[in-house]
Amino acid sequence: MTTPTAINKTPPIEQKTFDKHVSNTGAALNDTMIEVSSLNFSIKNNAILKNLSFSVAAGEVYALLGGNGAGKSTTLKTLLGFNKPTQGSVKVAGKEVTQALDFVRGKTAYLPESATLYPHLTARENVEYFLSLADIKKSDEQINAAFNRVALQRDAWDRHMQTYSKGMRQKTAIALAILREAPIFLLDEPTSGLDPVAIDEFNQLVRELALTGATILMVTHDVYGACQVANRIGLLKNGELVGEYDAPQSGRIDTEQVHAAFGHHANRGA
Amino acid sequence: MSYLLKQLAREWRFLLRQKYLVVLLVCTFVMSGFAVFSGLSEVTQQKQTIERLKAADLTDLTNVQHKYEDPGSLAYYSFHLTYSSPSNLAFAALGERDIYPWKHRLNLLALEGQIYESDAQNAELAQAGKIDFVFVVSALAPLIVILLFHDLFANERTSGRHDLLVTTAKSYFALWGARIAVRLIAVIVCLMLPFYIGTLLSHSALADVGFVTFICVIYIAFWTALSVWWGKNASSAPRVASTLIGFWVLVAFIIPILGDLVINKTVHSPKGGDIVLTQREAVNDAWDLPKKTTMDAFVASNPQWKDHVDMQSEFEWKWYYAFQQVGDEKAGELSHAYRDAAHTRYQLAGIVSWFSPPLLLQRTFTRLASTDALAAFRYEYRMRGFHKSLREFYYPWLFIKGNPPKAALKNMPSFKKTMLNEMDEPEVTGVKLKENLSVN
Repeated sequence: MTTPTAINKTPPIEQKTFDKHVSNTGAALNDTMIEVSSLNFSIKNNAILKNLSFSVAAGEVYALLGGNGAGKSTTLKTLLGFNKPTQGSVKVAGKEVTQALDFVRGKTAYLPESATLYPHLTARENVEYFLSLADIKKSDEQINAAFNRVALQRDAWDRHMQTYSKGMRQKTAIALAILREAPIFLLDEPTSGLDPVAIDEFNQLVRELALTGATILMVTHDVYGACQVANRIGLLKNGELVGEYDAPQSGRIDTEQVHAAFGHHANRGA
Repeated sequence: MSYLLKQLAREWRFLLRQKYLVVLLVCTFVMSGFAVFSGLSEVTQQKQTIERLKAADLTDLTNVQHKYEDPGSLAYYSFHLTYSSPSNLAFAALGERDIYPWKHRLNLLALEGQIYESDAQNAELAQAGKIDFVFVVSALAPLIVILLFHDLFANERTSGRHDLLVTTAKSYFALWGARIAVRLIAVIVCLMLPFYIGTLLSHSALADVGFVTFICVIYIAFWTALSVWWGKNASSAPRVASTLIGFWVLVAFIIPILGDLVINKTVHSPKGGDIVLTQREAVNDAWDLPKKTTMDAFVASNPQWKDHVDMQSEFEWKWYYAFQQVGDEKAGELSHAYRDAAHTRYQLAGIVSWFSPPLLLQRTFTRLASTDALAAFRYEYRMRGFHKSLREFYYPWLFIKGNPPKAALKNMPSFKKTMLNEMDEPEVTGVKLKENLSVN
């Protein structure tokens, strides 16, 4: 088995310091960047999210874990302003989403589950196109640096994305998010469909981003992956937060514990 | 570069990278170009035909005047060209010019038979079959617009890009506004560019070009707005396309066809052939009737000649032309019914057009280009006026004066000279032209 280049190229996570008070993104570490309070969301009297409350601080990776239909993606869409809360408050970077949508979206880099960029464009063209949409100008060198940072193979940079694997597409989307310099990352099932090597590379990258002060909220049904990368895990079941797990001092959440809780709740809900 | 232009430039480059859109736009340009080219060719051919016939007419007339001296023979052998010249804008909307006649060579014989040699159908509602510019814009452009816009949102949703695009874009305009604007501008340019070349070649009036541009832009914008609105919340591009295409088929074809059927069922009209037959039978029968019968019928409608109808021989030209006119009068009722029905159909087609935007555009355009049924009615009105002036010229010589001197022939009416001002209204028996022509 070949060793993933990303792991070789990027410095080990332990070498990064975490003692800065202000992150690279401008937000002070531990500042609450995402704050969901008593959020309720219904469609035609059908409650999708029920009294949901959680918060994510700058420099933190928060994994919202749940099975199909738990309300994970609905939570993300509400944070992005696609859903209007029936009740409760959703604040991103200190602003109510419904009242400052453009501001919130400007602060947020969203990575959809299937990061299908334009297949008829190259990775570079895709990134340039999306940056232009956001009215951001980056030099070729900056784009190259972002590609390097996400460990996207150099020979793929100027290749049409229709030839890309899902992992490569994810990396390109992450490169785009990095180039946008958004302080908040919202990741929707980011490792779904990736092979184990790509998952490792991705998790490494997420931890790196968090170390630079980025606020990362990922929704996933991958218990193991969530425990590997998150500082905190929220367990979502039928639209309710039924448990929250903090990483102990070791920095790792006990996978077995969450797995057991996840399975327990899943069974209870069945 | 301003923010707006920057967004448009980016989306223009993006559009150029989508091959199917480029192919669609090229097809639009080619189709529009072909329509303009064929329209220009047709109009040029019609103009050349008119010029050729004018020259031939003059030669024929000179030969006849050289050969004959008596007014009867002169009237019998002299044919006079009448025509309706295509307007400068006709190339873009040929309208009814391939249905209704636009040239006739008339002589002093009975008029109805000369006019209704070919019967006209209710062509106002016939959409398909004529590839002129207005057909391309009214009937085909909506389909192109649907193909360009139906997947604007749905394609991004099904490929999972929609939310990423929306959350990345700085503003709504930066994404959707610019995309819609670029596609709209591109399709309008591809459609209108050949038209503008056509207007330059045909020396069309600037005001007409401006008005055509205005109505075409409004029309394309209508289909764009409809496609965007319908597709805005959809996640299935084929579903959006099939619904929009269904609507297009409904308004561009089904409503006009149903309208045509209903109009034809409700508005009854004699056939042109019946008018011709009635008039010709009347003329043929006159040969066997007592001459007094014919002359009495003639005098009844032309009392000014009552003292000059006595005949000295078995055949006299005045009797011959009198029974031609009596033949016209016998067919008059059918002729009026035919024209009334044509006008009623035109009016009803106008009502139908309010339910069919393509038909409404075509109707507006052909009105502007003077190629619609109204223009054809007006030409017929002018023909009738000209034929009347021929009778007014010849009858004094036929009934009283005898052979006209050569100098008098210079006063012979020509269609060009007697072309009636639009405000004039000759006393053409029973023709309710003034009120009918004022109908839109």
